[in-house]
Amino acid sequence: MSSKNGLVCFTNCFLPQEDGSLVETDLWIDQRRGVILDAQKTFFTRKERPDTIIDLGGNILSPGLIDIQINGAYGFDFSVFDGDDEAYTNNLKDMAERIVETGVTSFVPTIITQERSFYPKILQLLRPFCTGTSATSLGWHAEGPFIDMAKRGAHAPSFLATAPEGMKSFEELYGAENLAELEDWLMSAGSEAAVRIITAAPEVTGVMGAIGELNKRGIVFSIGHSIATSDIATTAVQHGARLITHLFNAMPQLHHRDPSIIGLLGASPHLYSPFSPITSKALYHGPVMSPVALTPLRTNSKANIPGLKTPVGSEALDDVETPPQTPVFKARSNVAPRTQNIAGFDLDAPQGFTRPFYELIVDGVHSHPNSVRLAYSSYPEGCILITDAMKILDPNLRDGVHEWRDGKRFVKEGDKLYLEGTETLAGSVVTLDKCVRNFARFTGCSLAEAIKCATYNPAKCLGIENKKGTLRAGADADLVVFDAEGVVQTSWVKGKRVWSRG
Amino acid sequence: MRLIIREDPSHVGDYIANYICRRINDFAPTAEKPFVLGLPTGSSPIPTYKSLIKLVKDGKLSFKHVVTFNMDEYVGLPQDHSESYHTFMFREFFSHIDIPPSQVHILNGNAPDLIGECKSYEEQIKSFGGIELFLGGIGEDGHIAFNEPGSSLASRTRIKTLAYDTILANARFFNNDISAVPRMALTVGVATVLDSREVVVVVTGQRKALALSKAIEEGVNHLWTLSALQLHPWALIVVDEDATAELHVKTVKYFKSIERVQDEVEATQRQLKIKGEASQVGSME
Repeated sequence: MSSKNGLVCFTNCFLPQEDGSLVETDLWIDQRRGVILDAQKTFFTRKERPDTIIDLGGNILSPGLIDIQINGAYGFDFSVFDGDDEAYTNNLKDMAERIVETGVTSFVPTIITQERSFYPKILQLLRPFCTGTSATSLGWHAEGPFIDMAKRGAHAPSFLATAPEGMKSFEELYGAENLAELEDWLMSAGSEAAVRIITAAPEVTGVMGAIGELNKRGIVFSIGHSIATSDIATTAVQHGARLITHLFNAMPQLHHRDPSIIGLLGASPHLYSPFSPITSKALYHGPVMSPVALTPLRTNSKANIPGLKTPVGSEALDDVETPPQTPVFKARSNVAPRTQNIAGFDLDAPQGFTRPFYELIVDGVHSHPNSVRLAYSSYPEGCILITDAMKILDPNLRDGVHEWRDGKRFVKEGDKLYLEGTETLAGSVVTLDKCVRNFARFTGCSLAEAIKCATYNPAKCLGIENKKGTLRAGADADLVVFDAEGVVQTSWVKGKRVWSRG
Repeated sequence: MRLIIREDPSHVGDYIANYICRRINDFAPTAEKPFVLGLPTGSSPIPTYKSLIKLVKDGKLSFKHVVTFNMDEYVGLPQDHSESYHTFMFREFFSHIDIPPSQVHILNGNAPDLIGECKSYEEQIKSFGGIELFLGGIGEDGHIAFNEPGSSLASRTRIKTLAYDTILANARFFNNDISAVPRMALTVGVATVLDSREVVVVVTGQRKALALSKAIEEGVNHLWTLSALQLHPWALIVVDEDATAELHVKTVKYFKSIERVQDEVEATQRQLKIKGEASQVGSME
């Protein structure tokens, strides 16, 4: 599968777009550089066209899937380290080479709560890598230990921690070099697309104060294993939390008076932006209703309007100035007076309130299909599919009893995994390509929209959409061919075919 | 001049594509002696391009030894703008066929020296020995390429200001924002088109009916620049039924009868050619 000039054209295929649509068009890639090409520019400026044409027979050519929460697969558990660096790295590589059969070409190894001395070492080992024929390991996702005892799930209670000294506590636990500024860390990681995620509970002592700094250093803060109230959850997002870890799981259930973390999906940008309600005084006696005030105004011309002295009426006036199609909160932030801090938090965020992305395990077990659809309908742009899979994940593994650890065994029954002799769920074993198919079925969305939730959305959340999760020119040519039913046919890494069915 | 009438735009496209395919294959182009083809943009030629693409995919036609020259391009529009003619040609045609990129020529509307760009374009055409077949479309005002009404019929490749009609018509491609429509274009001249050995023009739709009647039923007139085709020795216009709405019945009947005779002549010529006794089939005149 090599081309004379290194260029390949995929034709007779449908490409999922970033808006969730599906468009029939060709895709050009450069196998030598491993990137997607701007076909038109290649033709007119480079004066080249692909020597190799691959007919995909009407299938879907998608960006490779991205799993941002996965605990292990093919018998390897990212959270188990016996002191042998080489064995750990080799196991990780082996797992990364095998997982491409599930359509996953990028993943974020997830470490569940461990003894504190474990972190600085293991996070060092989880530098981004790609063997050339493997999925890219993007970095790490530390789930814990700054999580709430009340929602610890399967995490070991004795290892849970608080952060009395805020960011310093984080650095002491994870290792300061692992939390370095993004640029320094990327340099040492030697990769363009590399990510770090920390799942923590904002109500745990000291955590809220560290979110801003983590965010500044390019580390994605995810709310999870938490009993945060609506207020706390909202504040965490205002401080920079960008993600919710496995929505519905390990958090308070939706209560209409205090919808807690789940309620963030319903949050309106307007509620949390500086907002002065239009009072009856402003409506009937203020300048708002006068024809003069209704004509578009320049901010600096306000002083000329007779009768406009108090800032109270100005909110309404600013509305009149808002150009069509511009989100109201955006326009306001330029002109609204800086408001006071409420309860110690600056509510005057320059862009208003942006809802966080949220992860969903769509195995039909961890979240009921109705819950999946409920979440997706309230905020489709934020939806990210994850597997949260255990090391037993392996699509080739038969149903039945399997060894786990410490003499325990579990029973695999389709996508369900129980501790032997109990009804207790022992984690997830679903593959991400199956989550995509399930998701389309549960929500009624199109396959392309479901694919978006496992490609573009996670990439956007992590800020790597120029390299991963999209078909943009210059992005890595990590690709998956799906048939019309969403079954993976071939997987490609950096322009090379690394797996094909049958 | 010949006028071919077909049922609808897709049949018109098939007819022209098959015609061009036969012309290229009869020409038997090589790297040293390529077939030089002039190409238009716009909605009318799309069925022709679709049909040509199919011929290439079916292995009946190759553009390996075809050199193309496009008619026109906007001035100041980025090459990768969704409405640039570079984008149009790549999207609708070049990306789907086997033409080497080095054999494609489109005027550069962003050249620092626009006049120099036009001059060198004419020279490039000459360097290939002129255009063998120029495919064209027309505007509702009868313009060919961007040679708006009033253009000199002796014009060569040059900078051209777009007529208000054309700007209005193109506004739909720029979010109906008239101010966003480019005001200028580079275009081959009427004489550049007439210089090619053969001209094939596609005219479809009721809205082009008046322009068609002006171009073929009245005199040569620079307000309907397509009418200059009357002076060309080997011209073919292919239209759909809708586009004939303004023609006289007599005109339509006459051209239909020509088609029959032409078919017979061409069949005979082909026989002679096999025996090596005849040159290329030309015009009836």
